[in-house]
Order: sequence, then C-alpha cells, then structure tokens
Amino acid sequence: MAKEYFYSGCAAAAYGAKAARVEVITSYPIRPYTGIMMELSKLVANGDLDAEFVHGEGEHAQMSVTLGASASGARAYTGTSGVGVAYGMEVYSPTAGGRYPCQCAIADRALDPPGDFGSEHTDVMSARDQGYIMGWAESPQEVFDNTIMFYRIGEDQDVMLPQFCCQDGYFVSHIPGKVPVPEQSQVDEYLPPYNHPHPLDPHRPTLHGPQIFPDQGAAIDIQRAGAHANLPKVIEKCVKEYNEVMGRNYAPMLDEYMTDDAEFVFFLQGGHAKTARYAVNHLRKKGVKAGMVRPRFTRPFPSDEIAERCGKFKAIGTIETSTSYGGAMRGGNLIHEVRASLYDLDKRPAVTSMMAGLGGEVVTLDMFFQYAEVLAKAAKTGQVDQWVYWAGFDIAGWEGARRLQF
Amino acid sequence: MAKIFEVTIWATGVLQDMEGRHASLLIANAADKAGKFVQAWDNYADLPDRVNVPLRKYARISDEEIEMRYEYENEHPEMVIIMQDAIIKGMNVLWGMPKGGVLVINTKRSVDDILKFIPNKDLLSKIVTVDANSIAKVADIDFMGGEGGVEVVGIGAGPSAPLVGAACKVTDAFSLENVVAVAANKDGVKKGYEQAVVTNL
Repeated sequence: MAKEYFYSGCAAAAYGAKAARVEVITSYPIRPYTGIMMELSKLVANGDLDAEFVHGEGEHAQMSVTLGASASGARAYTGTSGVGVAYGMEVYSPTAGGRYPCQCAIADRALDPPGDFGSEHTDVMSARDQGYIMGWAESPQEVFDNTIMFYRIGEDQDVMLPQFCCQDGYFVSHIPGKVPVPEQSQVDEYLPPYNHPHPLDPHRPTLHGPQIFPDQGAAIDIQRAGAHANLPKVIEKCVKEYNEVMGRNYAPMLDEYMTDDAEFVFFLQGGHAKTARYAVNHLRKKGVKAGMVRPRFTRPFPSDEIAERCGKFKAIGTIETSTSYGGAMRGGNLIHEVRASLYDLDKRPAVTSMMAGLGGEVVTLDMFFQYAEVLAKAAKTGQVDQWVYWAGFDIAGWEGARRLQF
Repeated sequence: MAKIFEVTIWATGVLQDMEGRHASLLIANAADKAGKFVQAWDNYADLPDRVNVPLRKYARISDEEIEMRYEYENEHPEMVIIMQDAIIKGMNVLWGMPKGGVLVINTKRSVDDILKFIPNKDLLSKIVTVDANSIAKVADIDFMGGEGGVEVVGIGAGPSAPLVGAACKVTDAFSLENVVAVAANKDGVKKGYEQAVVTNL
C-alpha cells in the first residue's frame, strides 16, 4: 500500500532518488535545489541510504564527478539551479555524448542579472541541445515519479542518455504537495539495477572519451541523435509500465486537459500548468472552449504528437517561461518548436506566445483570462496580431485593469 | 473561489526555522485531517540561512481547491502567530490583516506589554498569549535550517505544539483534536490550549 506524505518538490526528488537506489550523489549548494541535497545528505548520514556523497567545489566538478561515477557503473545523481546550470555547461556534452545515463535534478532559477532566485526555465533551456533527456514536472508527485521514470528511460540500452529532471523553483520545489510513495519492492520491480556495458574498471581496462580525428565526429554524433530518435518509443513503453506498476495515469508525451472540443489551448510546461487548469475550468464555466496541453518532455520534443493531436485546434497559445532573445518570433523557446512541428499540416492552427513567469513572477489567473481573449480572437480570425505578448505589459497590464469580456 | 483562511507565522532565522515550519505544518495537517484543502510553506524571500532574521511561514485553509497556490505571501492573514516575542519590536507583524484578526504570541509578558509594540492593534479582535517555551521545556529544537525540505515525522515536538494548541482556542479553521492527532508532543498541544490567555480587544 502506498503511503502518502506531504513533500516539497525538493523532498520528493530526494526520496525519489532514494527509491531509485542511487549509488553516488554529488552536490554543490545553490537555491532552490539545495533542499534536495540536504534531504539526501540526511538520509546518507542516518544510514537510510547507502550511497557515496561527494561535495564538489563547484558545479563543473559536480557534473564531472557524476560523469565519472556513471562511467564506472554507478547510478549517479546530482542537481543544480540557475547560474549553477550554466557553470556546469562544459560537462553536459561529454556526459550525453559519452552516453552516461546519470541524472541531474533541476529546480530552475532565473539567470543573472540581477541576482534573482525566482523560477524561470531559461537556465536549463540553454542546455537543451546537448543530448540530455529533459522534462518538467507539474507537482511534487510528478517530481518523485519522474525521478524514477527518467532513470529507467535513460538507462534503456537503446537510449543510454543522461537526464535533466526539472521542476519549477519555489512553485514546485518549495510548496509541499501530497505524494503517494510506493513500496520499495514496486520501485525495484520497475527499475532494475544500472548496468553499463563497458564500465571503467582497473581490472578490465576500457577507453572512454578519447581524442578523435575530425572526420570521425559525425559518426559519433549520429549515434547520439539516433538515441534520441529511439526515445519516443522507449518513453511510451516506460511510462506505460510505470502507470501499471505504480497505479498512476501519466501521458507519455502530451498531457491534455479539456482538449476534446477545445477551440484553443494554452501550451506550457511545468508548475504553471496547475494554474492553467483552474483558468480552463473558469473559462469553461463561461462557455469558452479552452483547453490545455502540457508537454511532459522538452527533449525529445513531442513533434509527432503535436502534429498528430494539436492540428485540430483553431489557436494555440504557448506560455513561455524562458527567453530566446532575438530568436524566431522574438519571444520564448516553445513557440519555435510548436510552430515547426505543425508546419507540414495542411490546415495549421494560429500560434502565438505569451511571455510570463519570468524571474519567478506568478502567472496569475487574470493573465490566463486576458490571454484567452487574444486566443479566442485568433481562433475566430485564424490569424495572430502579434507573435509575442508580454504578460503585465501587452496584456494583463497595470493600466486599466481590464476585466474578462466574452 | 471559496474564502481562504490565511495564517502567517513569524519565527527567527535558523534558530526557529524548523519550529516555525512545524507550526504551519501542524495547522495544515490538522485541517487536512478534517477534509479541507490546505497549503503550508515557507516564505521564499526571507533567507532562512541568516541567524535571527525574522522569517515568515504560511498556512492556507479552504473548503475548495486553493487556486492562488503560487502567490508568494499571504496577503490577508486573519491569524498571525509569533514564535518569539521580540520580533514584534521591529516588524509590522499584522501586515495585510483585515480588521478583526487574531494574534497568537509565545511570550512570558503581559498583554499590555505586547500591545505597546503593536501600533496597528485596532486591527485585532483577540490576542492570545501563551508561554510555549516553558510548556515545551525548550525554545529551539534544531539549529539546522531545512529550506525546501520537509519533515516527515515528528512535527511539533517543540514550542510549535503549545502555540498551535493555544491558537485552537480562537478559531474554527482547525480543531484541537486534529492538532493533537498530528503533533509529536500531544501533551504540549493540550497544555498550550489550557494555559492560553485569551484577551478580547
């Protein structure tokens, strides 16, 4: 019988890692992810978790130790936030390219300047193209479940890739929610011990990460890309099995809410999806056909699923919790890929974006309501007036305090 | 959206970080037991790793799902709990309180002494004083701040137990019975309830 606890996202990640029987943990403090390591260090100190706990002198060292531990055949766990993600950057490509399926927990945080500890997805979105598997949880429960699920997906022999297991700093990492924790035997049934085919071992020497000639590069890159190409199938299998063993109900790629007859949908990842659901409920009461789509993974990006299931909407409004300065559409990161995923369809929805939740700003119900007006208009006309709307400025601004008018 | 009952708890940095959090967790867990929708969390901006800085911990209780879950602070606390009486000398602890709120304070001093330091006391309908440190026989339990972490067992072993017990005397939002059920120091909760001095203002 699963026992239910009140866990913050940080505690959920720590207990998820414990359930996954991690063997090497490396830490370096930075808010807001620190709570994960504090809980884990307590577990190790109390003898509740048999793991090597290494405190690095910075995130670069932290990521390097994790890489080494994973290469030697240990299930390795680390994590960071904000500028820490940036400081560890050099090690991400070697970890993914070397195909070490270690896990890096992320409680996201805005990058400087100025110093800010609020949630923003930009930190780890900047590392999204290194080959890591990556996805945001909506609640502490999903953090717990993803921690276990991501290991299983990453350690699949057709994949062998590291994972960023992400959650919104503060919103998910610091606000406790109910987490039903399964029995250890259930987790053991789902997640077999980590098995590296060629671990570093002084008794059986192997070579990892040598220098190569330039013309050998593409052959290695195509393997990393191939691993990502295998991912959707592996994810589908692993999520389905997780649901069966633990009695959960996760969608593999796209989490949809009230989309059956929706004319337009909010498209966003992470904790703000919770507020989006409430907004959809209120809009539905007013007769507005709104829905929500939440990608559970950012890498691999769910292009096929979007093409298959989002073409029926008249308008899609991404909610960008990260920045892509100067990028296509001049806003955030999601709209690029949502638009690109829909390109091959004969009939495409109108797609626009709202910049919200930057620097830890709360995405309020009012922002969703006013964005819904924009989307309702786009659904009617089939066109968008702007690529990007800044919440608090273009819409839901201070002036006028416009109210919902449908 | 249903009405949300907001509780703000003030504690001192590091020394009372855990006890302050336990007070909010006791309230949330007790109300949860009664089938309410609840939330308990730490203020994110108060930097809990600095010794003796004033910290805020929050609880919310509602009959319906709490949609304002991500708002950083309780804007309109109807109940304010003070873990250490010196805090009232420097802070506007009643910030945002609607008229008719209650203040629960851990102190050995008289009500008059306390009210001297609360310039906006006209907001209060009641003040509850209790010497929670003496009942718990300890002022601070743990010197380790546990930011982002959550205690799973042993919530309410220190002064948070009698203090929340005392708060039960002036609210229907959570009951003494349920606080006793979720607290580690059950006797402390009951003693806090019994020894609390309620003054109507």
